[in-house]
Amino acid sequence: MDNSQQNAQQSLRRAVVVAGNRIPFARAGGAYASASNQDMLTAAIDGLVARAGISGERLGAVAGGAVLKHSRDFNLTREAVLGSALDPATPAFDVQMACATGMETVSTISNKIRTGQIEAGIAGGVDSASDAPIAVSEGLRRALLQLQRAKTTTQKLKALKNLRPGDLVPSAPTTGEPRTGLSMGEHQALTTQQWDVSREDQDHIAAASHQNLAAAYDRGFFDDLVTPFKGVSRDNNMRADSTVEKLSTLKPVFGKKLSGEATMTAGNSTPLTDGASAVLLTSEDWAAEHHLAPLAEVVDSEAAAVDFVSGHEGLLMAPAYAVPRLLARQGVTLQDMDLIEIHEAFASTVLAIMAAWESEQFCRDRLGLSEPVGTVDRSKLNVNGSSLAAGHPFAATGGRIVASTAKELAARAKAEGRPQTALISVCAAGGQGVAMILRSV
Amino acid sequence: MTRSPDQLPTVPEHYELVEPAAKPNLGLLYATAGVSAAGGFASDAAARALPALRKSPLGKVLPGSLLHRGGDRLRASLDLPRVAHVVEGLVVDPEWHEKFCRVVHARPRSLAPGSSETAVFSGALHSVAFPVAMSVLTRQDFPLPVMGMVHLTNTVQHVMDVAVGEELTATAWTENLRSHRAGTVVDAVVTLTRTDGTVAWAGRSGYLAKGLTAAIAGEDARAGEDEPTSSSLGAPFNAPQQTAQWSLRADTGRQYAGVSGDYNPIHLSGASAKALGMKGAIAHGMYTASRALAATAVPAEVPFSWSVEFAAPVVLPATVSVSVHDHGRREHWESSRVIAWDPERNRPHLELAVEPL
Repeated sequence: MDNSQQNAQQSLRRAVVVAGNRIPFARAGGAYASASNQDMLTAAIDGLVARAGISGERLGAVAGGAVLKHSRDFNLTREAVLGSALDPATPAFDVQMACATGMETVSTISNKIRTGQIEAGIAGGVDSASDAPIAVSEGLRRALLQLQRAKTTTQKLKALKNLRPGDLVPSAPTTGEPRTGLSMGEHQALTTQQWDVSREDQDHIAAASHQNLAAAYDRGFFDDLVTPFKGVSRDNNMRADSTVEKLSTLKPVFGKKLSGEATMTAGNSTPLTDGASAVLLTSEDWAAEHHLAPLAEVVDSEAAAVDFVSGHEGLLMAPAYAVPRLLARQGVTLQDMDLIEIHEAFASTVLAIMAAWESEQFCRDRLGLSEPVGTVDRSKLNVNGSSLAAGHPFAATGGRIVASTAKELAARAKAEGRPQTALISVCAAGGQGVAMILRSV
Repeated sequence: MTRSPDQLPTVPEHYELVEPAAKPNLGLLYATAGVSAAGGFASDAAARALPALRKSPLGKVLPGSLLHRGGDRLRASLDLPRVAHVVEGLVVDPEWHEKFCRVVHARPRSLAPGSSETAVFSGALHSVAFPVAMSVLTRQDFPLPVMGMVHLTNTVQHVMDVAVGEELTATAWTENLRSHRAGTVVDAVVTLTRTDGTVAWAGRSGYLAKGLTAAIAGEDARAGEDEPTSSSLGAPFNAPQQTAQWSLRADTGRQYAGVSGDYNPIHLSGASAKALGMKGAIAHGMYTASRALAATAVPAEVPFSWSVEFAAPVVLPATVSVSVHDHGRREHWESSRVIAWDPERNRPHLELAVEPL
C-alpha cells in the first residue's frame, strides 16, 4: 500500500458486521417455488431486524439485488424495506453484479459507513430460480413494441406481419454468457481442463462442503444466522451423508463435448437455488448505542474482471486476480489469513483458483508477481461449508458468506485470544470477481 | 487466387459493362427453378436493398439457364460471359441493416467516433452485392448450373466503411474459371463503389460446380454437399481452444434468408433441403461467416480483408463449437482467426481469417 492510499484508509472509521440473517436456501422448483424475490428478501431483512432488535429504526441505506429479476421489480430492495419492520423512511437501492451482487452490496454499505455518510445499513441479496421472469421472444417483443407505437390499422397490421410461429415461444433466463453462448458450466469445463483439475479433487471439495455445513448446523452455528421460511429450517440441498465415494458415481454434465475426461457432475457443481440473505453493518458507535456486539470489521474489498470472451482467461477466474491485489494493498499475505472462503460455484472453480495461486508461471505472467501467491491451507477453507452444500441463490451468496465468516471470526478470536483475519473470494458471471478481507474486532 | 492480397479486383479487359437484363429477386429465382414450394417467399431484403430491382416484371426475372436447362448449352465450351453487371443507386436501408445485424449477432457501430451515421457491417454488404452476382450467374450464357453450386471460399476487401443510407454502385462479374478435383470452380466478383468512384468493398466468392458431367446429366441439384471439399481444412482436424458456442435453431436458415434475400431451399426447411439431396436444412455459409466476423475484434476505421473457407455444412439445428482468436486489440490489432466446428463429429465447418489491408 503506498502512502496516499494508507493515509486515505487510516482517515476512515471502521465499518463492522454486527449481525446476519438468511432464510434456508432451497433447491429451485421446490419449497420456495411460489415465493417471489420480494417475499424472500423481506423475510431475510425482517429476520435480521428482529434478531438485532432494531424494529422501527431508520437506517442510512439498504442495498440489495437479484440476478434474475423481473422488470416490475425495478425497486426490489426499497419494496422489501417498505414491507419490512424497518422505518419506511429507510432509503434503499438495488445492485446487480451477477453472483458477486451480495459482496458488492456489503462493500458499498460498509464504504458509506467508513466515510461517515451513514451510521448503519443492511446489505443483502436474493434470487429465485423458481420464480424466474419469463420473457417473450425477441421477435414478439419487437412486434409488440411496434404495435404499441402504431397509430393506424395499416401500421398495426405491419407490426404483426413479421411475427413467426417460433416467436411465440417464451424465453426463460439461462446461465449462458451473452457474448460466448456458452453456459457457465461449459465455461468452467474449459477452465477445469486447462488446469487439469481431477474428478477426485472436485468430489473431495464437494463432500467436505456438505460435511462441514452439516456439522455447523449440528453444533448450532446457524441458530442465529438462519430464520426458517416456508417450513424449511435447513438448506435442503445439504446431504450430511455425502461422501467422495457416492459423488464418484455421478455422471458428468459439463465438458462432455471437450476432448479429455469430463469431470464436472451435478454433485460438484452448485444447483439452481432460491434464497435470500441480509447483513447488518454499522459504525462502532452505532453498534454500542444499540447494545450490539460487533463480529468483524469489513477491512477492504477489491473487484477484478478478466477477458474470458477471447479465451484469454477462464470465466470464473477473476478472484485469482482480485485476491492478490487486495492482499498487496493491505500489506498481508495468504498465509496471514486464518479463514479462507472461496465461493463454490463449482468445486473446480475453487481448485483452479487455488492452483493458479500456487503456479509460479501464472503468478509471474498473469499477476506480475515474482513469486507465487501461495498454497491455501485446506483446514482453513470453507470451514462451515459453502455453496456446493448450501446452494447458491446468486445474489444471496455474498451475504451468506460475510455473515457466517464474521461470526466464525468472532468466535475464534474469543477462543484463541488473538485477532483473526478472513479472506473471501466470490466469482461472478461476466468474468468478474470480488474479494474481501474481514477482521475480528 | 490470381491476385495479390492488396490488389482490388477490377473488371477484366474486354468485358462489357451492362445493366442486368434479368433483374433477379432471389426468392423468385429459386422458386422458378421448380424445386421447392418454399422458394415462394418474396425477398423483402433484396428488394429493399436493391430498389432498382424491385419492380422487375416477373417474366424478365426468370433466369434463362434455369428455365431451359438442356444438355446442349452446358456441353458447349465453358466460356464465361464477358460482361460485368452494373447496378446503380443501391442504398442500405437502416431498418434492414439493424435486422441483419441482429440475426448475425453483429453490433452496428458509428461511421467515425462522434458520427451520427452508422457504418454498414461488412457481412451485410455481401447481401447487398449478392443479388447482383446472382444476376450474372443466372445469365443464359453462364455455363455452369447455379442450383447445387457449393460456396467454397469467400474473400472480402473492406477498404473503407460506407454509411447506412449511402448510395452505392455494384459491379459484378465472373472470372477465373478453373478445374477442381471435385468439379469446376468459378469466382463471382462484386465491387461496391461510392458515388465518387472509389471502391469501398470488394468481394470474391469461389463456387464449385460439383462433378460437371453430373451437372450435364441434369443431376447437379442432387450433388451431396456434406463432405468437406476444401483442402486447407482437411483431416485430421485438431480442434483449437473453444471460446464460444453457437446454438443454431432449426429456423436459422429462414432467419438469414429473411435478411439476406437468399432463399435457396437448401437453407429453408428439412423438407426443402432433402428434396435437394441434403441431410437437412443447412445454415447459409455467409450466415456463419458473418457471425464469425462479428465475433472478432477488428477495430473501427481500419481497412481489412476477411476470407473464409467453408468445409462441412452446418445441418440445422446445430450446436457449433467456436474458437475466436484476436491477435492484438484496438491499435495493436494484427489479425483475427475464427474456427467453427462440429464437436460431435470433430469436423470443421469454417475458418475465417481477418487481416488489415
